[in-house]
Amino acid sequence: MLSAKDLHITFNPGTPIETRALRGMSLDIPAGQFVTVIGSNGAGKSTFLNAISGDLSVDTGRIAIDGEDVTRQPVWARAKRVARVFQDPMAGTCEDLTIEENMALAQQRGTMRGLRGAVKAAQRETFRERLATLGLGLEKRLTDRIGLLSGGQRQAVSLLMAALQPSRILLLDEHTAALDPRTADFVLQLTARIVAENQLTTMMVTHSMRQALDVGQRTVMLHQGQVVLDVAGEQRSRLDVPDLLQMFEKVRGEKLADDALLLG
Amino acid sequence: MSLFSLLGAVEIGLIFSLVALGVFISFRLLRFPDLTVDGSFPLGGAVCAVLISTGTNPYVATLAATAAGAGAGLITGWLNVKLKIMDLLASILMMIALYSINLRIMGGPNVPLINDPTLFTLLQPEGMADYVARPALLLVIVIAAKLAMDWFFATERGLAIRATGSNARMARAQGVNTGAMVLLGMAVSNALVALAGALFAQTQGGADISMGIGTIVIGLAAVIVGESILPSRRLVWATLAVIIGAIVYRFFIALALNSDFIGLKAQDLNLVTAVLVTVALVIPQIKRKLSARRR
Amino acid sequence: MKQSSWAPLGAIALALVAAAPLAQAQQKSVAVTAIVEHPALDAIRDGVKASLAAAGYEEGKTLKWQYQSAQGNTGTAAQIARKFVGDQPDAIVAIATPSAQAVVAATKTVPVIFSAVTDPVAAKLVKDWEPSKTNVTGVSDLLALDKQMELVKQVVPNAKRVGVVYNPGEANSAVVVKELKALLPKMGMTLVEAAAPRSVDVGSAARSLIGKADVIYTSTDNNVVSAYESLVKVGQEAKLPLIAADADSVKRGAIASYGINYRDLGEQTGRMVVRVLKGEKPGDIKPEISTKLELTVNPGAAEKQGVKLSDAFIKSAAHIVK
Repeated sequence: MLSAKDLHITFNPGTPIETRALRGMSLDIPAGQFVTVIGSNGAGKSTFLNAISGDLSVDTGRIAIDGEDVTRQPVWARAKRVARVFQDPMAGTCEDLTIEENMALAQQRGTMRGLRGAVKAAQRETFRERLATLGLGLEKRLTDRIGLLSGGQRQAVSLLMAALQPSRILLLDEHTAALDPRTADFVLQLTARIVAENQLTTMMVTHSMRQALDVGQRTVMLHQGQVVLDVAGEQRSRLDVPDLLQMFEKVRGEKLADDALLLG
Repeated sequence: MSLFSLLGAVEIGLIFSLVALGVFISFRLLRFPDLTVDGSFPLGGAVCAVLISTGTNPYVATLAATAAGAGAGLITGWLNVKLKIMDLLASILMMIALYSINLRIMGGPNVPLINDPTLFTLLQPEGMADYVARPALLLVIVIAAKLAMDWFFATERGLAIRATGSNARMARAQGVNTGAMVLLGMAVSNALVALAGALFAQTQGGADISMGIGTIVIGLAAVIVGESILPSRRLVWATLAVIIGAIVYRFFIALALNSDFIGLKAQDLNLVTAVLVTVALVIPQIKRKLSARRR
Repeated sequence: MKQSSWAPLGAIALALVAAAPLAQAQQKSVAVTAIVEHPALDAIRDGVKASLAAAGYEEGKTLKWQYQSAQGNTGTAAQIARKFVGDQPDAIVAIATPSAQAVVAATKTVPVIFSAVTDPVAAKLVKDWEPSKTNVTGVSDLLALDKQMELVKQVVPNAKRVGVVYNPGEANSAVVVKELKALLPKMGMTLVEAAAPRSVDVGSAARSLIGKADVIYTSTDNNVVSAYESLVKVGQEAKLPLIAADADSVKRGAIASYGINYRDLGEQTGRMVVRVLKGEKPGDIKPEISTKLELTVNPGAAEKQGVKLSDAFIKSAAHIVK
């Protein structure tokens, strides 16, 4: 489904601030799997996610989605297969456009946009139905500007938007990090529900080890631009956060020294 | 103020409302500060005037002028999207280049159109004075342009353009080819401005190389005055607002021209216009404060 | 008041009331517009006013006078044209090509007298130099260029390459350059052009002619006239002689000019306006060219630019600048 082979990305090569963000990163995600990705700052999680979405181009390596090589495709061409929810609720929606316009935009993802009306009556009904499942009353506010919504509400809508059009892979980029704990929880539950309902192949980058273990079927840990841990199934369901830490130390021979990751 | 003067202000206001619609697309929808209009306005006038004065049918001439404007917008967009030149700078480069291009097209600084056939002489109804027929015909053209714009920006393509201006990164994530949308938006915007230039040349006696100076200022003034009179986020109202803004702005200039009775002189024209427009912008704010206090 | 005082007061009041409509019937209105404010164009306006006054039309009494400048903006010129036509004056005076075109496009009935339009036929204001039979006539500031080039030869006898600084965006200048291109080869000289689209470009345009021209000739181009000092600087530094087309520029540093006095042009225009006010139709009046040309000389400038002028030549001038 998603196949990333030996990705290398170096920022500012040849300068004093050279950073080798991905050093031979490889990961295969089969269809329908929900993978969580964790790692300390600078481990390369966001870089990896941006490489998959196309926001960053890799120096070497190959990315294939459903067998098709997308390594050199720009973001908008990959969008046919890739759905994404951004970390910043502002970045993930068009502030000036209404809720229904944002949703229409997402629904037309991957299609040839023509001269038909952007928001048609039948679509509106679908939008209302989906929004009603959130229980936030947003289905009555279709023509409100999305900028009027709170961060949590926008992330919830973003999740719905990501599921409006079938995708080969859903990328979640620390999408609860900018929310308060209660809202973050709400959005996380919503995520699990939507992924399950639509059987979406999903990769969720998170900063929280707790989150990483609570959701999905497989957890991958990155460190210094490579995969250092990969647990799934039975083995994973028995794990708790301290266990993960121990595994990390065993593999790398060093202690994990990232407070945010440990406390999250 | 005479009826003639008033209708004159309406006539020129309608022409510049096409400019305002074009500037609205680039400045407000695409968030692209576009100075190309200082060059595409005279480009439209030049192409139209040269074609008509050499015998071409005015309909064809006007259409050609509009297409030329679209071309100019495409080049500015291409400079920005493909060559990665900053938007404002790309538009300035195009504006500068168009000065020479327009001189070449006209073969000189001025192409008069005084007794030549124009859209207006062809379409003037029997018995209607020309100073009434021109604003009437322009009104029809402006309304048609507005409705076309309202329709277009509610289509999938149009929504993609608006998304590009609002949040390009998110738009790309939704599969929008933002580069192509910038090109399309700039083409449509400058096509409208060039159309205005062609209509201006046909109603004001010809095309002159200096007719474009200050076009962006007039366009922006119209957009801002309009939004201040009729604030609304909905596109349908916003396009109406900029049309009203353009007419009001030219009306203020006409008012300033007629204020010699209070001892103001010709040199004070620009100052008086600025004062009147400032008053227009401030009055809505004062109204809001007063109604807030009353509660 | 005492009863006896009423009668004389009443008589005076009656007389005034009776006289008022008569006075208004006598009042003529003239509306004047120029594309921009500028010494030459302002001199024309003042000349028109002077001719009107000399013919008995005094502002406020027998003349309603209106002046508007378009501040360099063609959109504004169009609105001024509309306003004037709406006021229905007895005559509109339009100074410079863009203003004249805007006025002529705005009316086919109100009398229009143009001024300072070098080629009114090319500007389509009139069909030809005969009485137009329309509502338009006027005075052109066309200079006989062969006389101008003769002056150049008189001042710099060995000149072969004539440099011209001009604004390619100004109609009048474009006409001059076109004619010079055709004329100079016949006189054994060549034309070297230097474009100055804005007045700030005049200096660098002049500098580009150093080594490429033997003399610089300029017409009454708006940009050049606004920035003549920068030309003078170049002329003095590079010892490049400057010949102008108007007396004002000679005062500012050109060696000589054989040109139109714009005040006189204004008065000539004003005389035409008077004919129209007195009842003649503009369509029956032939468009005129400026009739008075005078030689102005600046011997001091000649020295600074490395040219020796003969005493006879200096004495033949109408004006000598100290």
